[in-house]
Amino acid sequence: MNQKTQGSRLEIQGVNKLFGDFCALKDINLTIEPGELVCFLGPSGCGKTTLLRIIAGLEHQSGGLLHQGETDISLKPPRERDFGIVFQSYALFPNMTVIDNIAYGLRSIGMPKAQIHSRVDELLALVGLEDQASKYPAQLSGGQQQRVALARALAPSPGLLLLDEPLSALDAKVRQHLRGEIRSLQKQLGVTTVMVTHDQEEALAMADRVVVMNNGVIEQVGTPLDIYQQPASAFVASFIGAMNFIDSAPLNGQRVKVGNRELDLVRPLPRAEGCIQLAIRPEDVHLLPSGDGEWEGEVQALDYLGAFIRTHIRLSDIELDLVVDVDPRSARRLDLRVGGCVCLNLPSDALHCFAA
Amino acid sequence: MSESDPGKFSMIDSPALSTPTTRNWPALAELRRRLAGRWVFALLLVTGCGVLTLLVLAPLYTLLSKSVESKAGDFVGLENFAHYLSTGGIESAFFNSLWVAGLSTVIVVSLAFMAAWALTRTRLPITGWIRGVLVLPILAPSLLPAISLVYLFGNQGVLKSWLFGAEIYGPIGIIMGSCFWTFPHALMILLTAMDNADGRHYEAATALKASPWRTFWTVTVPGARYGLVSAGFVVFTLVITDFGVPKVIGGQFDVLATDIYKQVIGQQKFEMGAVVSVLLLLPAMLAFIADRYVQRKQSASFTARSVPYRPRQDRKRDALGALMLTPTVVFIFAIIGMAIYASFVTFWPYNLDLSLNNYQFGRMDGGGWGAYTNSLQMALGTMVLGTVLVFFNAWLMERTPQPKLLTGVFQFLSLLPLAVPGLVLGLSYIFFFNHPENPINGIYGTLFILILCTVTHFYAVSHLTAVTALKQLDQEFEAVGESLNASRWRVLFTVTLPLCLPAILDVALYLFVNAMTTVSAVVFLYGHDSQLASVAVLNMDEAGDIAPAAAMAILITVTCATAKLIQGLLRFWVDRSTRVWRQGTE
Repeated sequence: MNQKTQGSRLEIQGVNKLFGDFCALKDINLTIEPGELVCFLGPSGCGKTTLLRIIAGLEHQSGGLLHQGETDISLKPPRERDFGIVFQSYALFPNMTVIDNIAYGLRSIGMPKAQIHSRVDELLALVGLEDQASKYPAQLSGGQQQRVALARALAPSPGLLLLDEPLSALDAKVRQHLRGEIRSLQKQLGVTTVMVTHDQEEALAMADRVVVMNNGVIEQVGTPLDIYQQPASAFVASFIGAMNFIDSAPLNGQRVKVGNRELDLVRPLPRAEGCIQLAIRPEDVHLLPSGDGEWEGEVQALDYLGAFIRTHIRLSDIELDLVVDVDPRSARRLDLRVGGCVCLNLPSDALHCFAA
Repeated sequence: MSESDPGKFSMIDSPALSTPTTRNWPALAELRRRLAGRWVFALLLVTGCGVLTLLVLAPLYTLLSKSVESKAGDFVGLENFAHYLSTGGIESAFFNSLWVAGLSTVIVVSLAFMAAWALTRTRLPITGWIRGVLVLPILAPSLLPAISLVYLFGNQGVLKSWLFGAEIYGPIGIIMGSCFWTFPHALMILLTAMDNADGRHYEAATALKASPWRTFWTVTVPGARYGLVSAGFVVFTLVITDFGVPKVIGGQFDVLATDIYKQVIGQQKFEMGAVVSVLLLLPAMLAFIADRYVQRKQSASFTARSVPYRPRQDRKRDALGALMLTPTVVFIFAIIGMAIYASFVTFWPYNLDLSLNNYQFGRMDGGGWGAYTNSLQMALGTMVLGTVLVFFNAWLMERTPQPKLLTGVFQFLSLLPLAVPGLVLGLSYIFFFNHPENPINGIYGTLFILILCTVTHFYAVSHLTAVTALKQLDQEFEAVGESLNASRWRVLFTVTLPLCLPAILDVALYLFVNAMTTVSAVVFLYGHDSQLASVAVLNMDEAGDIAPAAAMAILITVTCATAKLIQGLLRFWVDRSTRVWRQGTE
């Protein structure tokens, strides 16, 4: 639309958070570049919301520093920081119309009336709610309320936009639609954005970079592709998408032993004593007609999931259950049936390995 | 930001302190500025705690210390208690109080449960009106039922024969009178507990082929059990601490509440009054603690996924419901009707012509119309001061960052008045505010101390209402406000107060009505220029002017009903003008 506000750079250095004895965040270091959309992703209780609230100043870090642009904001109260925030509940003021909600922050900074008027109109157009301007939040649908909350947060042109599970209160359809809308709006405005979510699909679809968190630490920071294809830990591998894990023992060099077989790996082995875990995505396993592959297994169950068939296969000689995704055409070619035999290969370039 | 973490003032501990930034002066200045913002709120709540300490804790402490002092003011340990014991006070008053309150509790809770069942589990018509009638007693001073009972069953009562020779003056009268005025309290608690029933539970019971009787015992009763317990504790406390009913109709039957009055007003034995007060404080405290304990165990069983219960059309059940409501409705109408009738009768029972003679209060002792206008002023003052104080403090506690310890202390001080009987509070106010060394003893005997005492007396329930309303608001309003550069004050005035308007009106009405009708706390505190209408009822009754007493009680009731009407209209207006944003429909 109009001005492309320069989003600010955010730097988090060594942030800790203790709740009594419980360590909610341990030594968090992260730099978010101007205009970037970063998702904090993790299971509930991993500390992602706490980190967002610390960035907003709504919660206070037990230690560590925060810089927004050149300014040290570590000790600043929320009012003196430059951000807009959208909560899961939206927290729209129910006694005010859409216009008054959006204008709320502009009135706080004493913007002249005429300017408020044009800015509100601009934002209404931006989120496509021109015709709902004088309605109250209770008269709007969930998706519309979400847009009002977004417009309200963006009205004072903050350098940083914080989204706390902004889509989780919505229906699946609306969520998918708004996902794209928020993303294009964010790109258009160039506002640096931090979004907290527990929905991996949402994170992968929207983010420039994903920060995967667990138990108060950052497990991995990377582009959605990195996170999916090069998971840095077994946790990331299992949390993002589906993953088969196979116990194995390292031999010399790049060789590992699985059951009574030996495998050559492409990737370097983690420096670990004893057992290591091999991992492979369900879509990376090659299924072959019976008698053709290295491993032989029996089909235990078939789940028809539309675009692909999730096949549960038991490798009886190493007592391992594998999940393999097959497209329907290959399934027909392989004649997959419950109880039938099938052969498979584990391509070495698709095998990940983690310390067990 | 509601969840204020403890130790916020000392946060940014060692790791950050060792970093370069905090060594800079600007950063320190910033820290100071931020703390300043927080300190203001904490300081205000500390002030709130101070005010409540002055209004509850300090007077109570003086009372407790008085109970272990001789008349001359020397420390005598438990001697006063031993003396009270040896004169038989425990056997008579203490146990009398216990069993009368216990029996009243059983009767009231049973009747209230039956009524609540009929109102929520059947499809009787006009339940709105029936609810209105059933809560009518709350608008009357507790003296009204006692006076009415005298007319109904007293020596010259119209229904005296119904008692088969038993005396109304004594436990029977006390229990009947107590049942009348405590009934609405029990009913409201039970209605709250039973209104929100999950219809799915009933459907599940039906699907599992449970009989209506079994459904009642396995679904309805368990759903209401916390309400039943709570209602029990509330009624017990109300009856055992009530002074009006036993004073008027208790005859020679001693209970703790009348005993305090006798010791203090009759015999000027203040230290013995303190002793009895402590004895009265004990059961009230125990009931309060037990109730809090039970409440804590309660968790909401009605969740967002529940489906509200709708009773089926069932003639037999409706008839049963009507049967359960009838005695209570008739009793309430009889009591109020009798009081109204008696107030207009020229000279009971010899001249039954109706006249306004009894309303000419100027001709009787007890304060006359002046007492009534004093009461109005006192009630309005209590309403304004109380509502402001309660909401402001509750807002500080709920919606501003506060150290946990401070909110805990404040919550305790706010709920404490619930455990302190009015008489005990009033007596402790004498000890505290009439003390020659108290710098503000000048307020003793004025309307202002009556206002302070009444605000304190009814603080806890108002506080709970305010806190409930504030808790229901989205927890993030203040956070959004801060991100939009709006101070908590601006959010308070533009969002919080408009949203809490219905609760504010409720609290205001609650304080007004209670200030109009209360006797127990103020009976020790009124002065020559600050006589009150409710006390006038008591004094006229004591002087034998029972018909004018009835008239004044009716006048109080009509005043409260008018206040209720005004509040109802205001609420209607508020609801209508805010319906758009509350429900999204016009």
